[in-house]
Amino acid sequence: MSKQTASVQQSSGFPRGKFLRTLKRERSLWAISAIALVWVAIFAYGPMYGLLYSFFDYRPGLNLWDCQFVGLKYFREFFLLPDFGKILRNTLVISGLNLTLGFIAPIVFALFLNEIHNTKFKRTVQTLSYMPYFVSWVVVASIMNTLLSSNGTINELLMAIGLIDQPISYLNEPSLFWWIQIIASIWKNVGWSAIIYISAISGVDGELYQAGAVDGLGRFGMAWHITIPGILPTIVLLFILGVGNLLNTGYEYQLLVGTPMTRDVYEVIDTYVYRYGIQMGRYPFATAVGLLKSVIGFALVLISNFAARKVTGMSIL
Amino acid sequence: MRKKEKERLAPYQRPTFSGRIFDIINIVLMIVFSFCMLYPFWNQLVLSFNEGTDALNGGLYFWPRVWTLSNYTYMFENSHLGTGAIISVARVVVGTATTIFCSGLLAYVTTVHGFSGRRFMRVIYLITMYFSGGMIPTYLLMVNLGLLNTFTVYWLPGLFSAYYMMLIASYIYSLPESLMESARIHGAGEMRIYFQIILPLCVPVLAAIGIMAAVGHWNSWFDVMIYNPAGDWDTLQVYLRKILLEADQPAKLQNAQQLQEAMRKLTTSSVRAATTMIVTLPIICVYPFFQKYFISGMTIGAVKG
Repeated sequence: MSKQTASVQQSSGFPRGKFLRTLKRERSLWAISAIALVWVAIFAYGPMYGLLYSFFDYRPGLNLWDCQFVGLKYFREFFLLPDFGKILRNTLVISGLNLTLGFIAPIVFALFLNEIHNTKFKRTVQTLSYMPYFVSWVVVASIMNTLLSSNGTINELLMAIGLIDQPISYLNEPSLFWWIQIIASIWKNVGWSAIIYISAISGVDGELYQAGAVDGLGRFGMAWHITIPGILPTIVLLFILGVGNLLNTGYEYQLLVGTPMTRDVYEVIDTYVYRYGIQMGRYPFATAVGLLKSVIGFALVLISNFAARKVTGMSIL
Repeated sequence: MRKKEKERLAPYQRPTFSGRIFDIINIVLMIVFSFCMLYPFWNQLVLSFNEGTDALNGGLYFWPRVWTLSNYTYMFENSHLGTGAIISVARVVVGTATTIFCSGLLAYVTTVHGFSGRRFMRVIYLITMYFSGGMIPTYLLMVNLGLLNTFTVYWLPGLFSAYYMMLIASYIYSLPESLMESARIHGAGEMRIYFQIILPLCVPVLAAIGIMAAVGHWNSWFDVMIYNPAGDWDTLQVYLRKILLEADQPAKLQNAQQLQEAMRKLTTSSVRAATTMIVTLPIICVYPFFQKYFISGMTIGAVKG
């Protein structure tokens, strides 16, 4: 109803008096809107305008239009980089692990937790499960340094049960980097990501379970034939979002836990942008790399969304 | 009665032998799982209360062997950790208060029926949820605005948030429209309606958002690092990061050791453990209280997508 009134006001061709009268009546609302508009223009749309830096030989302090236009020079440079293959590989491997192991872990946890019948115990476990989500990656990195140090608990435990003969320097071992990263990431996020599945499971119709019981399903059968299909829409939705984020590996873990010895396996697009842009000051080049990442990421969202709609009839866009 | 009883113990709940075995295994799994979630924190706590040089011998699992508080006293006396704590708290308070105030007003504006700019404001902000300039253009913007090495850079870029706007707006939509209508008929101005009627009713959603924002501010370190290269406004997280990563830390520690007898037995890792606990404890202390708000905030977000 109110929508109609609003559109009538707008479509009436803005007679001067009426426009001013509307403005006067809504002055306090427009005052807030004006502040919000100034802010959003500077802090949200400003950086979008700044994406143009990638097409110019931009140097800070200069006006953009005084700089030389170089077209796609910096985009091409990124593809021709000797490191390009390595960075792409690391990015895809790390997010690939996140999208498989890191994606399945919370679902499995939610399913197992659902089988616990003691409510108090269940809630305690769940509360503990998402505690690591609330601490920063700096804290996680510090904890990892302690646990994985040469006289840390993990080394002592593995030596005590005879799996290894001498302490391993885990964080300096390139071959272990990806696996430690995915374990740390699961540890930090599993409980938090599981919340949405747990609430989806509690939304599954209880009568289905009774019908299943009549048809002779056991507990495993219930989980497989009722619970999982019941939360499938949620799973598909989150998977789409995950595919859209394929290139967003983040940089926090890499910058905090990576060492010079593991540089070859941890350098991803995000850390590369940071290193070249902020540390070395090659702003246009780093902007170009970031823009390229966003464009490909957006295309990935569109593709995965299209695929999901074809397969399941559901989508987010 | 009898039927009810039967329903309560549906066949799939009726304990079978294999079901019992599974239950036991499942409970054990969950206990192991909880232990894995909790132990890393406990291990740091133990280490932070143990003498540094003694900890090097290993074997510290559940309880400190040689008790000491010197790891903590070193951090507070020999570094500017106290200043860092004040800056962290200031950032949390200012950042959270301003974002709630501004995002709340923005959300209200987009929900006022008949407001001519309502849709426009909503769309302008929704676009920012899907597109952004990325790390480098944002950094250059801060440089060009002269916000580097200031405290302002912590709260000003987070003043309005499209995500918070969505959460609060969807909450306001769920309130009865008649409240605002009757206030308007009685001649209340828009600001009065917001602050006297809407705001008190929005406390649950604002609490959820406030906690999200506060934890985010407390935990952030990357923006501190890139926007405050001079280190004048270092927060606790950045102090911890420095101890973790910077190469000159052992040298600093050695200086202190030469000056003070009590510091002889410190090591970088024991000092780091103490700092980790200082950074983590506030979160763990308020955790039992805020976690339910956090969950409600997340589920609102999930429903509205």
